[in-house]
Amino acid sequence: MNLSSSLIEKHAVDEIVKCNDITLKFGLSLTLQEAMELVKTRTLSLKCNGRIEFGGGVIGKIIKEFCDSPYIYKANYVETLNELIEIFYYYKNETLDLISDNELIAFMKNAFDGKCQGSLELLYGRELEKLAHNLRYGYGANYSEYADCEEENDDDQY
Amino acid sequence: MTNIEKQHIIYSNKLAGEFYFISILQEAHSCGLLNKSDIENIQLQCIDLLAYKSERYNMGDSSSIRIDTAESLMKSILYTIGIYLKSIPNRDKALSELITVKIADLYERGIELVNVKFKAARRFYNMAKKNKLDTLNYSYNFTLNENGIGVFFKEYNSEFEAHDIPANIDYQLCNTVENLTGIEYIQTYLFHLYLENEFCRNFAPENIHKLLYGYDKDYAELLINIFEQVLTAALGCALANTNIRELYLSKKDVQYLYRKLVAYDNKELIIALNIAMKSIFEELNIIEHSLKDYIERSLTKIASNIEIALKLNTLDKVFIRPVDPNLVPKIYFESSAKMDDKEYRSLIEELLNCRYSSDKLKIIKEKVNSFDDLDDLLLDTRLEEEECISLFNTLGDIEIAALLKRHPFESDIKAVDLPEEERAVSLYLENYIKGLPVVRQEEIKKIADGIEGF
Repeated sequence: MNLSSSLIEKHAVDEIVKCNDITLKFGLSLTLQEAMELVKTRTLSLKCNGRIEFGGGVIGKIIKEFCDSPYIYKANYVETLNELIEIFYYYKNETLDLISDNELIAFMKNAFDGKCQGSLELLYGRELEKLAHNLRYGYGANYSEYADCEEENDDDQY
Repeated sequence: MTNIEKQHIIYSNKLAGEFYFISILQEAHSCGLLNKSDIENIQLQCIDLLAYKSERYNMGDSSSIRIDTAESLMKSILYTIGIYLKSIPNRDKALSELITVKIADLYERGIELVNVKFKAARRFYNMAKKNKLDTLNYSYNFTLNENGIGVFFKEYNSEFEAHDIPANIDYQLCNTVENLTGIEYIQTYLFHLYLENEFCRNFAPENIHKLLYGYDKDYAELLINIFEQVLTAALGCALANTNIRELYLSKKDVQYLYRKLVAYDNKELIIALNIAMKSIFEELNIIEHSLKDYIERSLTKIASNIEIALKLNTLDKVFIRPVDPNLVPKIYFESSAKMDDKEYRSLIEELLNCRYSSDKLKIIKEKVNSFDDLDDLLLDTRLEEEECISLFNTLGDIEIAALLKRHPFESDIKAVDLPEEERAVSLYLENYIKGLPVVRQEEIKKIADGIEGF
């Protein structure tokens, strides 16, 4: 039996649109068209990463987690969400499913608002790469083998 | 009016045993019993169930899973539902349940059945272990032990991988289990194995050992079915009017069987085998119906083996003549004392410095008096193939046979583990023996087989 992807997508769009009730108070909302675009991004990311998901699932969680970020506003909302979705699924595989959805999203939000200061490139190429490396090698999520050097460098900068 | 049989719209022969649920859907759709919306509704319910299962699989940690995992979960769901639908004797009723009952409920009923079958399979496993045969066959013993099929009862996951068979099964049954998978496969396999054991236990382990030894002296390492050999021999005994329990057929008996069976066509052969089978039932007092059915099912395969053998005039390969390994003549080969290490070292040095092959042979002939020294020397001096062959030419059949016993011909895969020198000696010896007349080759092999404690 083939999984009916259109049925899954329709179900997901409905769930995403429902998130507007929460995000509206931050001045953010998604149209039906934009919700469909997010679902398409998700479908593509899932396909590229060889995964499958049911319901709105992660998109809803990402929206709810990131909607209060100071670096997200109306103009970059959809674009950022699209990128966050891609990044999420890529690192879901890279972390070998060793971290739960909620933990990964919380880590992303924390890094995005903190060390990355709203930079998706830093989030993707540095913080999450470090996280994936740590988990693959059995270290804690926040372990850093260059912790001392980083501190020294930080001192030099200031 | 004679018997009226209810006509089913869905034919059972079109339904796959392994993927029953899918095949019943396909058949119902092609017969027009399910329309597009029915199929879509079933699909949607299956997806919901898959979503629920994947959530349980991830223990709520992750909403997405890898596609191969999802496929495996879906297979497990469809397999479990199929088990329940298969348990409904009326296929049309099964279809109506499929339309009216929720997929999640069908799945739950399937899970219950899987658990019942799991318990039944464990019972069959204990029964098969209890009536296990006393045999040297490795694949048989391994399959029945805890590391073989026993793994299944530790590893089987009815919730997420109900369709899977996590077991090491090397031993092949006489009647291969087809079109089944998961717990159904194991249950059937173990029941059939139990039946095969039950039949073979009518014969003394010693007689089975002699029969299998007659089939091949290395039968312990072969992937053969013991029941098939025993049943064939018993049928042969019944046809030749000899003692069935002995499983013994002489050369004359096989010749008699050839003369008797060669005149039969396929139908007559089957009839003759059926009569022989009934006399086996009587002689061994077999009354259990399932065992009788199983033996009857095995006749087709045996009949086909006999037919082919009759055509090729190789009936002695089907009706095996038992061999008692204790009565095979044995040769005890003893090498004389080895030379001392210092002397051996200087000999090797001399041989390595020697330029001419004829001189090397002369030195070996003069100084080597022990077989063990000769064997060591072949490995240490790295003689060329021509030199080795010249050396072999100076040896008698017993020495060659002893060398063959020590350096048997190995397949390329097995030989990979051997050191280079040993591989070379084995290869040169093989080439040398292959170059000998066939009669002498057989004589050497016979001596090598008879050499003991070497």
